[in-house]
Amino acid sequence: MLRRSPPRLTVIIVLAVAVLAGCEPRGGCTGANCGTLINAAVAEPSTLLPPSSEEIVTNDIDEQLFLKLADVGMSENTLGDEDFQALLAQKWEWDGPLTLVFHLDPRARWQDGQPVTAADVEFTFNAYTDSAVASPFRPKLRRVASVTQRDSLTTVFRFRERYPEMFYDAVYHMRILPAHLLRPVPRDQWRTALFGRQPVGDGPYRFVRWQPAQSIELVADSTFFLGRPGIRRLIWRFTPNLQVAVQQVVADQADIREQLVTPDNVKRARDAKHLAVYTYVGNVYTFLSFNQRSPTDSTQPHPIFADRELRRALARAVDRASLLKSALGDLAKVPQGPMSTLLGRIWDPEIRQLSYDTALAARLLSAHGWRDHDGDGVRDKDGQPLAFHILVPTSSVLRRQYARLLQEQFRAIGVHVEVDELESAVVSQRVGTGKYDTAILSRSNDPSPGSGIAQSWTQAGFGGSNFGRYYNPEFERIVDLANSATTRDRARALWRAAMETLNADAPGIFLYALDNVAAVHKRVENVQFRADSWAALLRTWRIPTDRLIDRDRVER
Amino acid sequence: MTLGTWLALFVALVVAAELVRALRHRGLRQERWRRFFRHRTASWGLGILAFLVIIALAAPLIAPFDPNKQLDIIHLKNHPPSWTFLLGTDVLSRDVWSRVVFGARVSLGIGALGALVAVSLGTLVGAVAGYYQRWIDAVLMRGVDVGLALPRIFILLMAVALWDGLPFAALVIAIGLTSWFGTSRLVRAEVLSLRQRDFVVAARALGADTARVIFRHVLPNAAAPIIVSAALGVGNVLLLEAALSFLGIGIKPPDASWGNMIADGAPSIYTAPWSTLFPGLAISLVVMSLNAVADGVRDALDPREEPA
Amino acid sequence: MTGAAWLLRRLVASVAIIFAVVTFVFILIHLAPGKPCGPIGGGEYQDPIVCAQLVQQFGLNQSIPEQYWLYLVALAHGNFGYSFSLHRPVRDAIADTIPFTLQLAGAALLLDFLLGLGLGIYQAVRVNRLPDVVIGNVTLFIYSLPTFWLALLLLLVFGEKLRWFPVGGASDPIFCPLVSSLYCVADRLWHIVLPAATLGLVGAAGTARFQRAAMLEVATQDYVRTARAKGVPERRVVLRHQLRNALLSFITRFGLAFPFLLTGAVLIETIFAWPGMGRLAFDSILSRDYPLVTATALIASTVVVTGNLLADILLGVADPRLRVRTSAEVEVLTA
Repeated sequence: MLRRSPPRLTVIIVLAVAVLAGCEPRGGCTGANCGTLINAAVAEPSTLLPPSSEEIVTNDIDEQLFLKLADVGMSENTLGDEDFQALLAQKWEWDGPLTLVFHLDPRARWQDGQPVTAADVEFTFNAYTDSAVASPFRPKLRRVASVTQRDSLTTVFRFRERYPEMFYDAVYHMRILPAHLLRPVPRDQWRTALFGRQPVGDGPYRFVRWQPAQSIELVADSTFFLGRPGIRRLIWRFTPNLQVAVQQVVADQADIREQLVTPDNVKRARDAKHLAVYTYVGNVYTFLSFNQRSPTDSTQPHPIFADRELRRALARAVDRASLLKSALGDLAKVPQGPMSTLLGRIWDPEIRQLSYDTALAARLLSAHGWRDHDGDGVRDKDGQPLAFHILVPTSSVLRRQYARLLQEQFRAIGVHVEVDELESAVVSQRVGTGKYDTAILSRSNDPSPGSGIAQSWTQAGFGGSNFGRYYNPEFERIVDLANSATTRDRARALWRAAMETLNADAPGIFLYALDNVAAVHKRVENVQFRADSWAALLRTWRIPTDRLIDRDRVER
Repeated sequence: MTLGTWLALFVALVVAAELVRALRHRGLRQERWRRFFRHRTASWGLGILAFLVIIALAAPLIAPFDPNKQLDIIHLKNHPPSWTFLLGTDVLSRDVWSRVVFGARVSLGIGALGALVAVSLGTLVGAVAGYYQRWIDAVLMRGVDVGLALPRIFILLMAVALWDGLPFAALVIAIGLTSWFGTSRLVRAEVLSLRQRDFVVAARALGADTARVIFRHVLPNAAAPIIVSAALGVGNVLLLEAALSFLGIGIKPPDASWGNMIADGAPSIYTAPWSTLFPGLAISLVVMSLNAVADGVRDALDPREEPA
Repeated sequence: MTGAAWLLRRLVASVAIIFAVVTFVFILIHLAPGKPCGPIGGGEYQDPIVCAQLVQQFGLNQSIPEQYWLYLVALAHGNFGYSFSLHRPVRDAIADTIPFTLQLAGAALLLDFLLGLGLGIYQAVRVNRLPDVVIGNVTLFIYSLPTFWLALLLLLVFGEKLRWFPVGGASDPIFCPLVSSLYCVADRLWHIVLPAATLGLVGAAGTARFQRAAMLEVATQDYVRTARAKGVPERRVVLRHQLRNALLSFITRFGLAFPFLLTGAVLIETIFAWPGMGRLAFDSILSRDYPLVTATALIASTVVVTGNLLADILLGVADPRLRVRTSAEVEVLTA
């Protein structure tokens, strides 16, 4: 009985599967605006509402859904207003030294049909700066005094002071939101609002669906007033494991991987015949942050890291160049301060940094009383060993590797280091509340050094991104001067002075500034990556009609 | 590998083989040992386990390099296996063979400790439940049901997530505390059936107190499921440790355990497979050997007749 | 004891178990030091103002018994709470994962059952001959592999190199974001193969070993030898006696394996990007998302306990002798 029926049963099953496979829906889309691109994404956003999240993936998706008034060009120049691309604002002019007037493009529409008006801009500014919304972008808008509407298509920005990057501050940080849809939502519930899961925007793409833990789908708006997007459909597909995400692209089941991260992945992508590898300037730098306050009581100084000389000695003990070569090969550069390669115009190899010199480090430590009194290989002073913890998130392969490399570097000069690997949300919480010794953190730069540096390295960032509570009044003075410098050369010289001041204080060890390496399917044309936001120009990518493959022809 | 370490390795192999052979000779006189060694796989399993335990104990003699030392992070990173580096080097240029050898200490130690806690607790609970029956049995077995309703990983993750800085020893004990449920059921079943046997009734009739009856009469005869549980338990703890390390909650760097070696090497699995392959094989080898030995023990202590 | 009384007793016990599990999880969470303001998730650090708002909103500053009571009351109204880390009601978050979890668990168990039983029976029939030895060693090896290792290997070979199966994911995001046609059902099956194979192969190896042992034990029992002596055809001996025994023991093993497939398969779900409850539970634990953790424990234990109850009923139907005993005791008879 059992032996006779299986063959018949299996034959039926195989036939059924074959028939079903043949039923695969084939799309009939032809022409210049077809195409589906699947992005093998790793992190899933928590919300798509622009002011409520600083996540990179949220920014990437919001780039397609919501427009800014204007955006930086490929040159990444943030001074003045000549190099900016008009988006929502058709034109603008200065109406006095502190007043900027924008004229909105009358063709701009929200996806529910309503026109985009100046009331939306005013509403957006008020929301971004409202403490109930608690937007992480709020400090970046501190120099804008107010935004009002003159008529339905004219909006007026008033500033508190005059400085070179006024235009940049006015346009770059905010994505304009639909007032008529968001006004009913109470401000303190924006982070959890339903709109964040079903956004309605005015951008080149429309939100279609969000399958939790699986994918987010966007479809092109063929009536987009700045030109129909070349690719019809964009899908972000979430795969928690980076290796598997890279594997998807290599196996031709996804089209884009915007960051390959490790040299191994880059090699695999280059070996894959259907992939093109693109290198573009990176906007992230990673560093070991020293917490200058005690982890148990933030009013007290840290027993080790509050001491400037100790920090400087420890910074000299790390061979950053070798670590970089080992972990990243030539995919990154050693930063000369809290800068990524995006800040090319202030990236100056001549900036003075603490040199790698273990002998000097050892001498300095000994001179400060840290010697190995009990012969256990670890320096100590007054009975306390020179030991601390490094906190890293489990999600980052690179940072975990670096933690182990640093552990060994410090061990070589008699410092005992323990590595704590915790989930990234927990790391954020610990770091945000100052409960750590050191942590390996990554920060992304805006095209302008002004906003980011202030957020992370000045007193304005206490309780914000300046987790280590670094404060040097001289540094802040120079930064203020640099921010108001009118010419690029003067700005560069001042930033150099600022960086040197900061480096001398060793508030951290600046480990690597990644150059981004992306893999994109060869069939895609006109692939442009803008350094500060890789997805900003997705709408200009195209797939020529003779290179369409099956998944491009879907007609939904 | 130096001459000294090759010699030490050779000595370890020989000692393990001799140990097994000696046991076999000695055991030939007893029925049970004969039945155990009848299984070729059981003998091999015992031999492999002996070998691994020996190299774990003699780790400093056998390992050619310091397992935590990053030899040359630029030139010796992910070096393929060679005569100097028997199993290659990992992404931080540490010798994989040395780490496997020292990792044996950690992994086998964790396995033994976890299994010890699990088996002790399971045996105790199972014996008490099986012996006393009635409401004690009912309460304890419902407790076991509760324990079985949630998988171990869930509870362990919670423990790790909620207690920051949980020392690994505490985690191992927690592993043991969540692994005893199956053992308790088996022991209970065995005690239930043994309870009615003559020698137990006799002991009780002679006035022996309960504890004495349990420990001196019942449990030794329930040895089969206990030993088998212990053997399988060690294997399960090893696999669990590997899983926890892969999730990022394992032995902290720089110390090696087989589990965290796999986790560290996973990102380079396609370009440098040896850094995950060998610790993975080591785990599989130990689990296989333990299973083979458990089969042999089960057969030796609880023989079944061969089918016609 | 009559069937109805037994059923009632089992039902009460089941409810008690679920209750105990949830209480245990609740206590465990609140026992841990250093709370209550957990991270909101997504890499955002904690703003003290927002933290205070959340504590107020979710009543995190009340005493534990109070919170427990409020939780029970909310549960009675079908309100599972709100997830901090996902910004959604907990019920929605879990409801999304349940179909995927059940599909994966079902497929894995099916593979486990068919392959494991088949191999175990085949081994018992050809005991101690070459096929038995070879299969025995192979199952031993597979049973000893760390599952995530097997997962990565299968992905490499079948997903990337041979391209027979997709590299992760639960469905084709283009054609089948929702299962809306027969083709999409096939697509889901296609995506399920590798993750189910990883879980199922290791399970099947265990089942095969177990089954072989069980069948060999039964083979020496009197009634089987009698049947053989009477000249009953070998095949019928195997099927009627040994197979039925196999079914019984499989049902009990099912009860033991199920909890793992619900919330323990987190590694497989992470590697294959399968949006199941394991991943959800894991993420929620590490984000200290208490409502989601407790709710997951509740749902998982409910499913497990219900499954065990059903298994017991099935056993009672299959073998009237066993009606009085629970599956725990049946294991004794067949182990």
